[in-house]
Amino acid sequence: MSRDVLERILWSLSVDRFSKEKFRENPQKFLSRFPIDEEGVRMILEFDVKGMQEVGVNPMLTLGYWIEMSPDRRVSSYNRKLGSDSAHSASIKG
Amino acid sequence: MAEITGGFLVPHDPIMFVAPDAPEAEKAKKVWDAYETCAERLAESGASSVIIVGNDHYMLFGTTCLPKYCIATGHVEGPLDQLPGLKKEQVQNHEALAQHIAAHGSETGFDWAVARSFTTDHAFSIPYKLIVRRAEEISGRSISAIPVYLASAVDPFITKARACQLGEQIRGAVEAFESDEQVFVIGSGGISHWVGVKETGKVNEEFDRQIIDLCCNANIDGLVAFTDEQVLENGGNGAMEIRNFICAMAAVNAPRGELIEYQPVPEWVTGLGFIELKKG
Repeated sequence: MSRDVLERILWSLSVDRFSKEKFRENPQKFLSRFPIDEEGVRMILEFDVKGMQEVGVNPMLTLGYWIEMSPDRRVSSYNRKLGSDSAHSASIKG
Repeated sequence: MAEITGGFLVPHDPIMFVAPDAPEAEKAKKVWDAYETCAERLAESGASSVIIVGNDHYMLFGTTCLPKYCIATGHVEGPLDQLPGLKKEQVQNHEALAQHIAAHGSETGFDWAVARSFTTDHAFSIPYKLIVRRAEEISGRSISAIPVYLASAVDPFITKARACQLGEQIRGAVEAFESDEQVFVIGSGGISHWVGVKETGKVNEEFDRQIIDLCCNANIDGLVAFTDEQVLENGGNGAMEIRNFICAMAAVNAPRGELIEYQPVPEWVTGLGFIELKKG
């Protein structure tokens, strides 16, 4: 699994409006432009932030990607996905 | 010649803006008041410009280019990550001094990445708004601000030793700048906080107090001596931002620091420390 490509995709989905639109329209088609394997596609489509961190993806990117693109965008849900029991769930996004 | 006459080490916690009422009111007030104290002291100083040493949070620089250290030498605005009460604004950069620091670096072994047009994130914009802009209001004079960004949150990290050397280079450049102006340097970041990881919300007061003691004793070597593993274990990935402190301390070269305030605030997921770097 390429940490570098995952980071490129997550960074695009965190900050680039065009990439966000294309991902929302057709995530598989958007991801087909990048050289990632099936496991990488799965992690992104399933918002497997824990799995991505385990392969070395920077947590600031997994958090930004979650806040921008996940279905409920809440940090409390993000924390649960990581296996955290943190009660502190304030988002860095306004 | 210009001179660095003082500085501060302060946090840049965005949760303060998103959830201002999360901590108990008295604790929150102490933190906001600490920024005000810094603003008042900057206003009282004769400084006409400030260098703010912060770090990107994987928003400004992408995977295609990750600079170890970058200085904004032209137009500046920000923050990119707007927050309630922290909206994007134009920043009055000191372009001549910023360009001089970069050029001086080229002559002395520091190959700065330069941003001819730059958008900041909250690492710059929180202290800019709460200290620099507020000091302008208090003093009635204009204070320009130069963004310096270190690789303190995204690897490959700048080493702590290099952050120290960079601070020394900034000081040398300022002192070689043909002007009689006074400059402050703000190190923006820390202290303990875990960002985007399962430990988020943890604050390590013991580690924070260790860092504060080192800063107040101007013990840069003590800060540099921490391994990254020690910092990550005890202070979290957010505490890697002590690089920003090291750079600012080396730039100011103060004999001591004065603790203005420290509050461990789990509701804001951070140990929040405020230190003035005192030259006198």
